Amino acid sequence: MSASTLNTTSNLWKQVRKTVANWTTVRRIMSVLLFLLAWTILVQFTGQFHQIPTPAAVFAALFQLKLGVIFTEIFRSFVRVLCGFLLGLLIGFPIGVAIGYSRIANYLLFPAVEMVRPIPPIAWIPLTVLFFINIESQIVFLTFYGAFFPIVYNTMGGISEVDIRLPRAAMSFGINRMGMLWKIILPAAMPQIFTGMKVAIGITWLMVVAAEMIASKGGLGYWVWYHHTVMEYPMVILGMGIIGLCGALCSVGIDVIGSHFMKWRNIF
Amino acid sequence: MVNNGSKQNGEGRISVRDVEKVYDPEGVNVRALEECNMEIEPGEFVMMVGPSGCGKTTLLNAIAGFSNVTKGTILLDENVIAAPGLTQAPGADRIVVFQGGALFPWKTVLDNLIFGPVVQGKNKDEAVAEARKLMDKLGLNRNTEDMYPGNLSSGMKRQVEIIRALINNPKVLLLDEPFRALDSLSKNLMHEYLLEVFEITKKTIFFITHDLEEAVFLADRVLIMTTRPGTIKAEIKVDIPRPRNYKVLSTDRFAELKERAFEAVREEALKAFEAGERELA
Repeated sequence: MSASTLNTTSNLWKQVRKTVANWTTVRRIMSVLLFLLAWTILVQFTGQFHQIPTPAAVFAALFQLKLGVIFTEIFRSFVRVLCGFLLGLLIGFPIGVAIGYSRIANYLLFPAVEMVRPIPPIAWIPLTVLFFINIESQIVFLTFYGAFFPIVYNTMGGISEVDIRLPRAAMSFGINRMGMLWKIILPAAMPQIFTGMKVAIGITWLMVVAAEMIASKGGLGYWVWYHHTVMEYPMVILGMGIIGLCGALCSVGIDVIGSHFMKWRNIF
Repeated sequence: MVNNGSKQNGEGRISVRDVEKVYDPEGVNVRALEECNMEIEPGEFVMMVGPSGCGKTTLLNAIAGFSNVTKGTILLDENVIAAPGLTQAPGADRIVVFQGGALFPWKTVLDNLIFGPVVQGKNKDEAVAEARKLMDKLGLNRNTEDMYPGNLSSGMKRQVEIIRALINNPKVLLLDEPFRALDSLSKNLMHEYLLEVFEITKKTIFFITHDLEEAVFLADRVLIMTTRPGTIKAEIKVDIPRPRNYKVLSTDRFAELKERAFEAVREEALKAFEAGERELA
């Protein structure tokens, strides 16, 4: 009895050794430590960057955060990102499907889309003032705009790159045109559609931060910019970190939703 | 649903008459098929071999209904399935098993199998029952039912795909080099499997390939296609009795037939090769 318990304990330890406490993990932790070390050295021992806070100062700033304030700002930015992203999905996805699936829609829509796309989204900031009086709408429009093109392009691309044999097989079985879209083309294009959404949510964060920095209507971008104006740089860096964390969280969220819809891809 | 009597009631005859296919994208005028004639009897297993790019797949696509012909007609039993000006469509009476496979990766094995019947309006429970019956009959392990194609070996994927075709009770089965990507051991197993399926179902099979051993081992008749423009150059009747198994491969008769097929194809391959060289020079 006790021997078998001992055995399972040592098996558990072996498992831990194999998956967590191994050299790979040590090297990964070292990567982070080396980054922090390089940062500290650069700041401490060069004249150039001496005004930049050290990692230690940023860590210390963490304890001066007013949680109520920061969570309000996080919430504001999140709402804007989600509104913009969902609008982008709601409008971009059908357009992507139309361009990818119908030749006529492709001729009608694609040239215009292709003409506007190279303009960096941030270049639209001055013009949005003409579109909307309400500042909140301006910010949401910009985040929407950031999400729109990656979603259109990846949906379209995913559809046009579906392996021809799949629709052919479905045609032999007697599927109709609507069934072809819903049961064959969209499921087959799903991986790339989700890739598009992942790119899109990254760009919505970029847009929301830029817009908030300019608009002074709260949000993480504004919060970072505010601490810049009062020269509290540890807070600035902390804010940058929080923005990065939020972006990563959204990206993971898309992955989780994606793996729910594409169980067939998590098979190995 | 699999019909054992298709040979007797004479379903599944393919007649290809004077077929020509010219691809003309931007006036390049590629003549893929010319004066192509062939007759496949109901319940016959016909293999077609020929050099790469000779028009085998063009012919198969025309029979399947994926593309039309520019001259001539193709009939399936009494029905014209390809002719100039005809708006033909693929149908469940002639199903293709593709090179590399075309299982839907987002559907489980069972959902792949019942896809045809369900799309055709059959009750789902009935389709499931039928699929299970066919799995048992054609030796596909029921444990694979809920697996995704990505989890199956490549041999088993082909097996699923063959059953997915047969559940529609097609008159003919069209195979476009379905075993090309398999390693030689799995390939041999799939050959024996297909022979078994053929014995059980007696479907007409039209199978195109590069592999002469595969051709002679499986076929009642091997057709050899010329280099482009493709036409039928010769046929070799394979008189090795059925049911066949791997032991056939080491008989003298097999070697002799394979040799004949090899000589016929080699001549065409050489022509295609030299034509290719001239084009490059």
